[in-house]
Amino acid sequence: MNIEQLKKIQTETLSKLDKYKAALMICAGTGCVSAGSFTLKDLLEKEIKKRNMENDILVVPTGCNGFCAQGPIMVIQPEGIFYQKVKPEDIPEIIDNLLEGKYVERLLYKDLKTKQAIPKMDDIRFFGKQQLIALRNKGIINPENIEDAIARGAYQALAKVLKTNKEDIIKEIIKSGIRGRGGGGFPTGVKWESALKAAEKKNEEPYVICNADEGDPGAFMDRSIVEADPHTVIEGMAIGALAVGAKEGFVYIRNEYPLALKRLEIAIKQAHEKGLLGKNILDSDFCFDIHIHRGAGAFVCGESSALMASMSGRAGEPRAKYVHNVEVGYRGKPTVLNNVETWANIPVIIDKGAKWFASIGSGDVSENPWNGSSGTKVFSLVGNIVNSGLVEVPMGITLREIIYDIGGGIPNGRKFKAIQTGGPSGGCIPADQLDLPVDFDSLTEAGSMMGSGGMIVMDDKTCMVDVAKYFISFLKDESCGKCTPCREGLISLFEILNRITKGEGKEGDIELMKEIAETMEVASLCALGQTAAYPVLSTIRYFRDEYEAHIKDKKCPAGVCKPLITYSVNDNCTGCTICARNCPVDAISGKVKEKHFINTDKCIKCNVCYEVCKFKAITVE
Amino acid sequence: MIDIIIDGKKISVKEETTIMDAAKKLNIDIPGLCHRSTVEAYGACRLCVVDVIDGRKTRMVTSCNYPIRKSIEVNTQSERVRKTRGMLLEMMLSRWPNVDMIKQLAKEYGIIQTRFIHPLIDYSSNACILCGLCVNACSEIMWEDIIGFAGRGESRRVVMPFEKHYDACVGCSTCANICPTGAIKMIDDPNQPVDSKRIMKYGSIIADEMALMDEEQCDMRGVGTAHLAQIMNDYDLFPTCNYKFGSHKDACGLHSDVFKKKYITQGLPDGCWLGCSMSCAKAVEGYELKTGPYKGEKVLIDGPEYETVAGCGANMGIFNPEFVLEANFYCDTYGIDTISFGTGMAFAMECYENGILNKERTGGMEFKFGNEEVGMEALHQMGRGEGFGVIVGQGIRRMKQIFAEKFDLTEEQIQFIQDIGMEAKGMEYSEYVTKESLAMQGGYGLALKGAQHDEAWLIFMDMVNNQIPTFEDKAEALHYFPMFRTWFGLMGLCKLPWNDVEPADNAETDEPAKVPGHVEGYVNFFSAMTGKEIDKHELILQSERVYNFQRVFNYRLGFGTREHDSIPYRSAGPVTIEEYESRAERYDKQLVEKWGYDIKGKTSGEKRDYLRKMRESDYQKLCDAVYKRRGWNNNGVPTIQKMKELGMDLHSVVEVLKRV
Repeated sequence: MNIEQLKKIQTETLSKLDKYKAALMICAGTGCVSAGSFTLKDLLEKEIKKRNMENDILVVPTGCNGFCAQGPIMVIQPEGIFYQKVKPEDIPEIIDNLLEGKYVERLLYKDLKTKQAIPKMDDIRFFGKQQLIALRNKGIINPENIEDAIARGAYQALAKVLKTNKEDIIKEIIKSGIRGRGGGGFPTGVKWESALKAAEKKNEEPYVICNADEGDPGAFMDRSIVEADPHTVIEGMAIGALAVGAKEGFVYIRNEYPLALKRLEIAIKQAHEKGLLGKNILDSDFCFDIHIHRGAGAFVCGESSALMASMSGRAGEPRAKYVHNVEVGYRGKPTVLNNVETWANIPVIIDKGAKWFASIGSGDVSENPWNGSSGTKVFSLVGNIVNSGLVEVPMGITLREIIYDIGGGIPNGRKFKAIQTGGPSGGCIPADQLDLPVDFDSLTEAGSMMGSGGMIVMDDKTCMVDVAKYFISFLKDESCGKCTPCREGLISLFEILNRITKGEGKEGDIELMKEIAETMEVASLCALGQTAAYPVLSTIRYFRDEYEAHIKDKKCPAGVCKPLITYSVNDNCTGCTICARNCPVDAISGKVKEKHFINTDKCIKCNVCYEVCKFKAITVE
Repeated sequence: MIDIIIDGKKISVKEETTIMDAAKKLNIDIPGLCHRSTVEAYGACRLCVVDVIDGRKTRMVTSCNYPIRKSIEVNTQSERVRKTRGMLLEMMLSRWPNVDMIKQLAKEYGIIQTRFIHPLIDYSSNACILCGLCVNACSEIMWEDIIGFAGRGESRRVVMPFEKHYDACVGCSTCANICPTGAIKMIDDPNQPVDSKRIMKYGSIIADEMALMDEEQCDMRGVGTAHLAQIMNDYDLFPTCNYKFGSHKDACGLHSDVFKKKYITQGLPDGCWLGCSMSCAKAVEGYELKTGPYKGEKVLIDGPEYETVAGCGANMGIFNPEFVLEANFYCDTYGIDTISFGTGMAFAMECYENGILNKERTGGMEFKFGNEEVGMEALHQMGRGEGFGVIVGQGIRRMKQIFAEKFDLTEEQIQFIQDIGMEAKGMEYSEYVTKESLAMQGGYGLALKGAQHDEAWLIFMDMVNNQIPTFEDKAEALHYFPMFRTWFGLMGLCKLPWNDVEPADNAETDEPAKVPGHVEGYVNFFSAMTGKEIDKHELILQSERVYNFQRVFNYRLGFGTREHDSIPYRSAGPVTIEEYESRAERYDKQLVEKWGYDIKGKTSGEKRDYLRKMRESDYQKLCDAVYKRRGWNNNGVPTIQKMKELGMDLHSVVEVLKRV
């Protein structure tokens, strides 16, 4: 296939799509699939066939829409009508209304404050502040159909640079200021430049690798991108390969992502069939192939050298990177490793230009990519938040905007306490820093990090010591165990935190933990160990009083650490007996219409009484 | 070279030197639990951290694996470094409180007690401290992966696959040897040596040398004996066209890098001696045969060894590596020795080129040097027992007889085939050109079983390094080395680890050719295995007893005398004028300087004849000297007195010798 033929597919597909009166975009991301969207799609197609409307209404299974909390989601194009929590029995009604140009009121999203129904997706605040680059095709294309992607401009950027020389492509990427979306935030163009130099100096063929081993708990940005638009990843990798002179590329993807894996396999196969991968791409001299490596799901395998060790058939353990992967990487060859989201941005940068990309985000990166954070970042917003889901926002947006405007705030009328960013080894940022701009450097300064884009919102019923213990426990199990500070440091930190949450904290524990953390940061072999103590350090930094309450007063202010809390009945008690009836261990006694009493020897602190009491008569301290 | 500063001291080091190695040169001690010079730096224990100041930035790095690439300043004792090491030691001490090396290091850093209560505390003084030395030694020294790490984080542990006993482990003891705490112990050695620790000690010396120096020395692990092709060609010792010449412009086609890059696919220890760290035997996998009964099949070829490369290649005037591989495969398949095949074919080819053979006599085959097609066809004929191949297959001694009888040769022709038929005692020569080394001619001619270099390989000592100039020196070497090398046969040991890897300081010893460090190893090995303490003289005596007994045995069967120690002239000097003229400068110089021969106005033929007279006479003088040194009579037969001295004056032996 040549470039003209590529354009022809684009125009033909577009005009084919234009013939339909409406397109029903069914979200087929992992979240909505679990909620039954595949069944919906089949039933919709059946219903349309029954009404002989196959030529008028098109059903498209798309990648993740992002508003996962409301799934299954359906968007009706071209109007952009947004239906949430769609059930099979809604189908005839949806089509009836569609034909009459009306909406099914009860399936529409209701504004949190005004309670008014909002028919159009773009008017919903969750989507309003987002800016889509990496996810530009989410919900618009069928990821299993390459023509859909081509219709939306896929592979045009590759076509544009096929005759550009390597240095100029790299210059463009550097100028865009894009920094690695995988966690480190290293300027992508600079990385490519080093790999190209090393490859030319050593006269070796370099490799490009896509890191799709998303291991942070609660993070699903990369999975969603691959599920929604695998071709942007392939195209990004092809442009990278062209820029550094690679002929082979690899995607390291975890096997726990079956849908992403399947879509990627289909996309690679289709790209091959169209001559967009393989030999003489688009009739040029450029030859490039992509192979898939499935990982077995170890958190440490997201670390570049561990990932390459795993790809080589060895245990996923990092090595010292005093000599970088761009020089000696996979199979000892210069290797460019970028994560899914970084690759997904590349075609847009080439297409719209570095200047356009650099104008989005914070800081001025025109001279030096280190001077700011350009472009957008995809986050998975989870935890104690109303609108959980996937969001893509311009860098520099504040945490407040993400949490309150997009996320809709904290549910159940509770107060915001902290947001944890950067994955398990990130840090917790407190309420007084809500106006912090979200970019690489601000987050690091605040004692956390960008990481790959996980955001966990926590309300005031969250114990920060317990949170730190949770992450340390995760990391303790996921550390590869090769180097002393990471392995032993995490074991020690966990032991100390465990003691503190059990009320056995000692004077000096905080200082001891800080000492351990310092050793881990300077002496660990890889970034996992170097940052593993951040959850402890950042919670000590912002919530030291909570630690002290645990250690000195043997109290858990958030009421989470069971050994430190007691349940009692206060004067609000009306003697309704509901608590006593629900207590599983008969620890509550009292007569009807008289104040009840909790026997603390029997109480197992299960919180059932607190939950069932209608008069706020249970005190937890 | 890069200038760096460590703890205020300046030093200049090669690029890529690690900080730890540079510090060692300055006698600065940096602690480390997981590093040995024999395995690649692993960087796991982190105790070797130091501060590196590079311009304005200071960062902490592990000195064992940080490569010096620019001018940096290193601080190995900064407060931060000491504090970090102290914390690491405190962590280790909390888990392994009774491991000596940790206790001792911790004490040095002022850590007596630890502030942690470790959930996995291990009170054993032989606890595994997860340093990884055993895992890396198994993989890097032995090229095996018998043990490895399992589990992540706190459940990390050293195991065999699936945590079961793994039969592939032959108990080479490398892991037990390198383990710093004694967590791995040899509990049972199937060979039941008297003192297994002593064997481990000397065994590990070779294993370490292989890991550290083999790649630079002989690359036995990388390519095996085939590495010799290039060296022999460089020294004019690579037999080409039936030993006429010692080098060839096309010989690079047979160099080891060709095989290494394109063909050799096995980098694994060979089954010939399980647990061998040298593991020199190689294989070519998936080679598609072009001829013969298995044509078109993809096969695995064992080898090629150096002798096969030279014999089935250059000596037949062939420089195509694939011919060597094909011949190697079919020789192995038919049960034909590659040396006898190569040397025998080379002889037949030279006979053909000199009119002793022709198409009529060979059944239509053009036996020219370099003719690959004929080379393979003759081999297949040998295998099938058909045609002219049957005659070649009988070896050079028979070929000489057959040609003389059947083809009605002239006196001159008969002399010619005697001169160029490279056999002694009926055995074909192995693949070295011996013309310029009298001692090596003796090495071949005086070997008991025939023209083989496995009794003595003296070319470098004699010709290149001139270490044995007199007849007596050569005779001494022809006493010592055959006896020493015979000992390997007596013990059932491989000879290669003796001198195909050498201790780093070997060149500085009194007798580098003997590799004294390794002789000591073998003496200890024998003593530790049997419990009988011997010294290096006893080792030689053990061989001498057997060697002399064998010589008497030969004598009893009608061999074993001076007559049978004779060699074809091709192995002592140039037979033809072409050969003389190809190295005329060398021969002319020798005629003048060594024998005072006036070469003015002499033809190449005259000079060649005079050289021959001198060299043949030298060979006889060498035999005189060797017989004397060995305690034999002037005809090369051991004396009864000698046998008495050796305690080998058995009745049957004395009976045979009485007949002399």
